[in-house]
Amino acid sequence: MKKRGEILIENIIFIVLNLIFLTILVLFLARQGEGAVILEENYAKEIALMIDSAKPIMTLRLDMSDARELAEKNGIDFKEVVKINKNVVTVKLSKDSGYSYSFFNNVDVSKPFPVANEDDYIIKINGYKNE
Amino acid sequence: MNSKSGEKLISVYWFTILILVAGGIVAMVYVFYGVQYDVREIEGSIMINQISDCISRKGVLNEDIFEKSYQDNFLKNCHLNFNVEDENNWKENLQYYFEIKIFEINDLVNPKVDFNHGSLNLVSSCEIASEDYEKLAKCVEGKFYSIGKNNEQYLIKILSIIRKSEKNVKS
Repeated sequence: MKKRGEILIENIIFIVLNLIFLTILVLFLARQGEGAVILEENYAKEIALMIDSAKPIMTLRLDMSDARELAEKNGIDFKEVVKINKNVVTVKLSKDSGYSYSFFNNVDVSKPFPVANEDDYIIKINGYKNE
Repeated sequence: MNSKSGEKLISVYWFTILILVAGGIVAMVYVFYGVQYDVREIEGSIMINQISDCISRKGVLNEDIFEKSYQDNFLKNCHLNFNVEDENNWKENLQYYFEIKIFEINDLVNPKVDFNHGSLNLVSSCEIASEDYEKLAKCVEGKFYSIGKNNEQYLIKILSIIRKSEKNVKS
């Protein structure tokens, strides 16, 4: 009887340790894809390329649902996620990070803003800067 | 006794395998997500499109391009801004370059117009275009035909080069 009890406890510990190990691994993999650093880089480059391709009086609309979710989780106001200073786009999704990328199209861009109650961001191209 | 020590040995062996597998997965994930998105080729193509729009409108060559003053002020005339973010010492080193050559169709050797803007140092990167040297600047070439006011035909070649290696290639 004693031997049977020992085997049962050993097996339970073994299974529990395996489950803990697999859970940590799955959580690690799941967190990697939605990291702030990766999303910041993606969105900053995407916005910069969109502005490079844009012509005056265009309105760009970008779905940023992933960014919204992560920003809210990290205590960042969604309105403050995208900033454009001169010709540099900066995306910030957590308090300690932020990613900037420049665009060469010399256009005047309005302050980017999110659509009310939606996940989209609006970026308006007003005209060329030297006109 | 033998069977019990054997079981323990299997457990240790099992956990060693688990650790190895975990290490492998972590390494693969690090390699996969550690790679930066290289957008320089797209950026270079967009720049060529923008320059093309300034040189040729609706297939007709912009005759201003033959004037030296227009060429000198091409960045302003073509709405290009080569300022970049103040990171990685970029402010002191230009990250862009482009070169425009316009040939008359009956002489494709000597360009009628040949000028450039940006950092000339980047041109050498184009000669070593290999995956082993991806940290160098990315070069994109484009060419198209256009006609002048009196139906003369021109070949326009544009070379654009984007560096920005620190933000597009894993260091």
